[in-house]
Amino acid sequence: MSELDCEQVLEMVWEYLDGEIDEVQYRGIHTHIEKCGDCGPRYEFQRKLMALVERKCQEGPIPADLKQRLFQLLKE
Amino acid sequence: MGAVALAEQVPIPASADRQQFEQMVEEHLNGLFGAALRMTRNRTNAEDLLQETFLRAWRSFHTFRPGTNARAWLYRILMNAYIDNYRKATREPEVVDQDDVDEFYLYSKVQESDQYRRAGNPEEAFLQTLMDADVKAALESLPEAFRAVVMLADIDGFSYKEIAEILSIPIGTVMSRLHRGRKQLQVALWEYARRARYVDGARPQPPESRSKDRPSAGEGRR
Ligand SMILES: [Zn+2]
Repeated sequence: MSELDCEQVLEMVWEYLDGEIDEVQYRGIHTHIEKCGDCGPRYEFQRKLMALVERKCQEGPIPADLKQRLFQLLKE
Repeated sequence: MGAVALAEQVPIPASADRQQFEQMVEEHLNGLFGAALRMTRNRTNAEDLLQETFLRAWRSFHTFRPGTNARAWLYRILMNAYIDNYRKATREPEVVDQDDVDEFYLYSKVQESDQYRRAGNPEEAFLQTLMDADVKAALESLPEAFRAVVMLADIDGFSYKEIAEILSIPIGTVMSRLHRGRKQLQVALWEYARRARYVDGARPQPPESRSKDRPSAGEGRR
């Protein structure tokens, strides 16, 4: 099995982050990222960025009065 | 026709049905409310969309098969209700062509920035300057087709396959929209960070003019 080069790794970095690749590819990318000074920091940045987007875009819980209104609809 | 078929014909009391529905929906209301806000970008419309989703889900609850993915089923109803009620009559242009932008746009910008390079750890320094409002605004600035996939993947954590089902589009389309949506999100995040004056941008000001560097100071003043 041939090793992945940087271009191949970076092309699959989103799928890797999303957990949407098979195990063999996953291991190949994981190994590459660990030791590559170009891909490693890029991957780390994307990972942190996506975690930040997820965290910062959270909305509070649904307002209690809205929730109450919704459930009231079922009784009509 | 055996006992099973007969049992299925026994009508379930409406109150038991309603209880089941309430239990199923309640768990996902916070997520659905957030999704409604992100899609409509407006509190009143989000509430209306959520109400419409709730009623549609209740009306078609009999078609829901217990044990299947309730969350994806509800999001699918929400997205369909959104498309029916809120999608602009004239379709938004799919995208400003960002194909020249690479997947690591933001990483490169941060690396190129004098301001962040001075910080020692440019990536960390940049991420720490981003405010909740900037990130939300950047997401909301995406055209709806991209906003929907980015939201479903990155905030709601759905898989590509689930997103394909929720939006009734092929998985390949999910992936390409996600790629392009994330690129656009990075461009938007960079712009928001710049506009908020966290970033000195591509053309750093000479040091002596920095003190006058206010948002209101126009180019003509120099
Ligand atoms: Zn590499």
